[in-house]
Amino acid sequence: MNIQTKSQFVAVASITSELSAVMVVAKEISLAAANAKAIAFRAGDKAKGFQPITDFINELAKETIELVTSINVYALSLYQLTVNEYRKTIAYNKFELIAELSKDAAHAHSMEEPLEKAKLTMENCQRQFKRDVKQLLDQLEAVMHHARAARVIAANSRIEASQAGEYLQSLQAVAESVDKAAHTIHDNVQRCRIALSLYRNN
Amino acid sequence: MKMTKIYEGSHQWIMFGRDENKPSNIIDSNQYAVRTANKCLLMDPGGSELFAPMMAAILHHAPVEQITDLFASHQDPDVISSLGLWDQALSNAKLHAPALWEGFIRHYLGCESIEYVPIPDNGGTIKLENIELQLIPAHYLHSSANFHVYDPQAKILMSGDVGSALEPAGTPMFVENFDSHIEKMRYFHQRWMPSNHAKRAWIERVRNLDIDILAPQHGRIFKGDDVKHFLDWFDALQVGVAV
Ligand SMILES: [Fe+2]
Ligand SMILES: [Fe+2]
Repeated sequence: MNIQTKSQFVAVASITSELSAVMVVAKEISLAAANAKAIAFRAGDKAKGFQPITDFINELAKETIELVTSINVYALSLYQLTVNEYRKTIAYNKFELIAELSKDAAHAHSMEEPLEKAKLTMENCQRQFKRDVKQLLDQLEAVMHHARAARVIAANSRIEASQAGEYLQSLQAVAESVDKAAHTIHDNVQRCRIALSLYRNN
Repeated sequence: MKMTKIYEGSHQWIMFGRDENKPSNIIDSNQYAVRTANKCLLMDPGGSELFAPMMAAILHHAPVEQITDLFASHQDPDVISSLGLWDQALSNAKLHAPALWEGFIRHYLGCESIEYVPIPDNGGTIKLENIELQLIPAHYLHSSANFHVYDPQAKILMSGDVGSALEPAGTPMFVENFDSHIEKMRYFHQRWMPSNHAKRAWIERVRNLDIDILAPQHGRIFKGDDVKHFLDWFDALQVGVAV
């Protein structure tokens, strides 16, 4: 296996692992949102501004989970594509070797058609891989967008929390955990994108 | 890859082996082809490493589109791990292999275009234009579902791992002195063949066949009286010695 395919395998496999971490964190956010909702409910008027925010956080977490679930399916098909491309490339290389080894063979020309076909299939795989990588990058961009939005909301929550009297600390803790989670998601997804962006244009 | 014609009549048998470019940590194997006017059958076509030299060698005898049939005596990697590559080169071929091993052999990723034709436990035939080859059960020798190929016209028995010897590179194609060959086969058969009972059943079956050439998957080919010498020697040997 050459370095290019090896790192392609690693890149695709790393997406799956980064995404499963994102999933865990997104679930944490959704839990934090439920928590915040309960606190805001108890705080009543003091946390009036906080209540819609909790719904919003919850919505965001749900969307992130859905998005990651669909990206995971995509990443799996990308992995299969990588396996397939690897297989086609090996075959093509072997067919080229056959052409070299069989120069003086009576039926050497009969391998021309399989060789040509193998080349086309291999190139198709490579093209499809690049196409799929581009789409995956777009989807990852959407997750990053959610993470950025979550951070803005967290900042707003902090302001709202300051109005909440004795609930200030617990609401601030919620804001803190949303911010931290969003930050983690942002970093993980960023790593996926860097790993993949190598394969977008080469 | 060396090529040796071992039968020439209405059709041909060609043996391939002793590949000079084979990595030294991979055991040497013999591959066989039966060539009729418009078709070609490959028997135990070999491991992935052997695919390119094998194909290049066959192109001396047949164009790729006439390779219509493959046969795997059993599931071992030295027998058929090249399947995934043949699958991408052959557009219309069948693989005849033990039914019992189908789910396992498919792990070699080779049945996208190749059709897996399962051989039932009691054997069967492969028709190649106007000749018919018999698939002789050789279960537990050494694999739990195992077949040999008998050609009644050429009087050749392709005997898979039975009759094999692991020898250094460049070994001659034929057994020249049976007595001195015994030591090269003894441990292989004692260790790899698990069952005296299975051995007995096979010998009884094979003694009824008219055989001029016994062609194993490793080492040298037996000719004429040496076929009988081999059967007698194998009959007397205790196998399954690891337990
Ligand atoms: Fe074997
Ligand atoms: Fe073998």
